[in-house]
Amino acid sequence: MSKIKFIFDLDGTITSEETLPLMAKHFNVQEEIEQLTRETIQGDIPFVESFIRRVFILGKLPVDEVASLLENVKLYPELADFIRTHKEQCVVATGNLLCWSENLLSRLGCESYCSDAIVEDNKVVKLTKILRKEVVVEKYQSEGYKVVYIGDGNNDLEAMRVADVAIAVGMTHSPSKSILPITNYLIFNEKALCRQLNQLL
Amino acid sequence: MPSVKSVVISCAGIGSRLGLGQTKALIKINGKSLITWQLELFKDVEDVRIVIGYQANDIIEEVLKHRNDVVFVYNHRYFETKTGASFYLGAVDAKEYVLEWDGDLLVHPDDVKKILATEGEFICYADKSSDEAVFVQTDENGDVLAFSRETGDYEWTGPACIMKRKVQYSSGNVFNQLEPYLPMKGIKVRAYDIDTYDDYKRVLEITKNW
Repeated sequence: MSKIKFIFDLDGTITSEETLPLMAKHFNVQEEIEQLTRETIQGDIPFVESFIRRVFILGKLPVDEVASLLENVKLYPELADFIRTHKEQCVVATGNLLCWSENLLSRLGCESYCSDAIVEDNKVVKLTKILRKEVVVEKYQSEGYKVVYIGDGNNDLEAMRVADVAIAVGMTHSPSKSILPITNYLIFNEKALCRQLNQLL
Repeated sequence: MPSVKSVVISCAGIGSRLGLGQTKALIKINGKSLITWQLELFKDVEDVRIVIGYQANDIIEEVLKHRNDVVFVYNHRYFETKTGASFYLGAVDAKEYVLEWDGDLLVHPDDVKKILATEGEFICYADKSSDEAVFVQTDENGDVLAFSRETGDYEWTGPACIMKRKVQYSSGNVFNQLEPYLPMKGIKVRAYDIDTYDDYKRVLEITKNW
């Protein structure tokens, strides 16, 4: 049997609530962030630009408080169980900063790839890496894995395009229209997604 | 319904021969869209896989009114491929057995129950009703020996059930994918293809009593 890796987007794919609006609400920067998120998901602002602007808004916030807020984000329980049960075959690729996401990611126990930044005095002072998710897909393909990519947003587009199997999900919100012309599957329900992942094993 | 079976409904095509200006899954039959009829018949099937292409978003919207746990499978090349490609795409990551179902096919509800309860591989066919059909040649037990464009005892309508691993990519039609595995068990059903406007009118009459 061929080696398989499932690479998951995090926000809205594994988490049943989007983390950005949650952070924005908690720190009272809702309006700015919601506007940015909406335009990014629709593909009106390129992901990288959106991400830099997002970090500029949120980077001033205390990192430890962001991390503990995200740690308690709701996950899709059955999907999280699938990842924990098959943690050797599962990988999370999130554009979010490692310093914000690491507590949350530790609940899943699998390998993960994030964007990165320098943190000083509990604040993000400099963005050092913006994750390009397609690089993660290509890395595993070059190691001989068949890669299944699961995501919902415009920032998953290139990763889905190069993946061997692309699954678009519309569980937390409608999938970005940009990914539909390149996806193999479209799934709206957690149980159906887990069924499909098991059938791919 | 054994849980080892997926149902693949192929709805990717344009429906050009019918001439109602929309993909066949969305045509209304006595008040309900064709895909709604099918979803009602498959309401107890766990893994329903709907292959979409032309008017994909409209089909998704219609399906989600009824259930959200189907797997939508994209055939992005629906314009230049036939049913064989859609069946392959729907089957490749399905359960061990795959029930192939054309999006333009209506089968009597009692026969659907029988089909879903039948284990293993089989091919369904119906009484002849069209001159342009593909026919099946059967033996004395009703098992399928061959498909033919010229002559046969019954009309090939589908559905057919086959092991997933046997479904190879085909630029042709589903019956071409089944041919290497003949003879196969045959089941006669009351099945109605909706290819032309005459077929459509006939199905409107037939389904009044369902």
